[in-house]
Amino acid sequence: MADVLLAARGVSVRFGGLIAVDGVDLEVSERELIGIIGPNGAGKTTLFHTLSGLVRPTAGRLSVRGRDLTGRPPHVFAAHGVARTFQTPRVFREMTAEANVRFGLEFAGRRRAHPHDAFDDARSILAFLGLAEVASVPAGALTPARQRLLEIGMAFGARPDVLLLDEVAAGLTERELETTAQLIRRVRDELGVAVVWIEHAVRALMGVVERVLVLHQGRKIADGSPALVARDRAVTEAYLGGEEPPA
Amino acid sequence: MSAARAVVATGAAALVLAAAPWLLSDFLLSLTVACLMYAGLAVSWAMFSGPTHYLSLATAAFFGLGAYVTAWGVATLPWALCVAGGGLVAAVFAALVGAAVLHLRGAYFAVLTFGLGELVRHAITYFEKSYFRTVGRVLTKTPDATTVYLTVLGVAAAAVAVAAVVRASRLGLALRGIGGDEERAQTLGVSTRRMKIAGFALSAFFAGAMGAAVAVRWTYIDPPAVFNPFIGLQTVLIAMVGGAATLGGPLASAVVFSLFTEFLRLRFPYAFLLVLGTLLIVLVLYLPGGLASLVERRRPAAAAGGAARGAGGPTRG
Repeated sequence: MADVLLAARGVSVRFGGLIAVDGVDLEVSERELIGIIGPNGAGKTTLFHTLSGLVRPTAGRLSVRGRDLTGRPPHVFAAHGVARTFQTPRVFREMTAEANVRFGLEFAGRRRAHPHDAFDDARSILAFLGLAEVASVPAGALTPARQRLLEIGMAFGARPDVLLLDEVAAGLTERELETTAQLIRRVRDELGVAVVWIEHAVRALMGVVERVLVLHQGRKIADGSPALVARDRAVTEAYLGGEEPPA
Repeated sequence: MSAARAVVATGAAALVLAAAPWLLSDFLLSLTVACLMYAGLAVSWAMFSGPTHYLSLATAAFFGLGAYVTAWGVATLPWALCVAGGGLVAAVFAALVGAAVLHLRGAYFAVLTFGLGELVRHAITYFEKSYFRTVGRVLTKTPDATTVYLTVLGVAAAAVAVAAVVRASRLGLALRGIGGDEERAQTLGVSTRRMKIAGFALSAFFAGAMGAAVAVRWTYIDPPAVFNPFIGLQTVLIAMVGGAATLGGPLASAVVFSLFTEFLRLRFPYAFLLVLGTLLIVLVLYLPGGLASLVERRRPAAAAGGAARGAGGPTRG
């Protein structure tokens, strides 16, 4: 069995009376490509916040390569090889695209060796993402679609072992969606990075990932191959609002 | 400008300015000291608050602490030790306070740092009253005017040189990242807490050293004089008017402002605060990036314009 890179055990997040994430278990192994789906408010993003250290879980443990990081600040997660993107691009608007990527390389990525050439410098990361021509453009002046790609580039700068992608395909056209899905596949295949991908566009995601987790009201209701999950009764109910699926 | 070139230019300018005591009249020399003092204060303020957008109003607290180190030590300690000690006390104080309050942002941080000046002022007043039975101190044994001038010049030049080095360093990059999006910087591996404390303490060092250096210009020192909120506000004003994100902006603005203030104070002793206040409002409303943004806006516009158009063009997707 491959090494477990990132593990969440019984993770719960409670905001006052609301339980956003409810006892979720997740193990991410080396070179795995995992999708997380679920209706709005299912707790997907909150789960990502805990996996990257932004939100401290109310209960449960988080570990990276067997090392317990529960309650540690985000920069520690980054230093241990967990990098993420945000749903709404959070690029440094006033810095150039290249400086945005260099940022991660200067901090989390500085002491992390990575075997792949694409992680060597900001230019090659931008080239991998097809952003080479806008390297010296301020990030705030890029199109939203390109800012999303740059978000991934910033995360690459941290030279991660696990990449957490939060709805990188939201608002893209059908064709852009296809390109992004392929890119995510290449990240895993060519760079050897494990990827956990949250997406609303379920169809595009199901075609790429090998394993799908389904969250509903904070709980994990299914975890398995896309084919298996698509036939799962609890999943259909969650998506169709509790009605019996047509036979 | 690269950091090395900025440091060399600062050193050269300081060497030229070092001749002033032998060339200028007493009045002009004291005017130059005022310029240098605000240059050092504004540049050191912008060192931290410029990139992070954390609006610190603690300059008066650091300045006053430095001044009090001189007040306590000038008669017994070597002069250089007073100045360095003033800087160190302010830096240590900033690090301790920073550890407690640097998680606050925006108005909360501004108000808290402002309150800090008042807190230190009252603490020192209390301390002096209960242990030394005094409300102020007369400084008798002080260095001569030339030494004071050269010290102020040295502190200001050091502040500018260090600010240039910080801008080019990882600390500077981290501070810009914190100003851009603090959480994002964290997720990319920046220990934002440590970087903010380092930046805040470094900035406080120069404010404290400056306070220690200029304190001897007053022969009588008491808390209201050296913890004067006006010094802190004027520093912020100068840096913002000049453009807190730049190095040259606060520097140039400090010189212009000190001369302008002096002129107003001599010509219109009652109206000059009104004029200053109005100026601040107008500048914040219409030129939030400071005067430096006027210069910068013109320069890269031509160069980046083409590339930016390319980014939004048909190559999309």
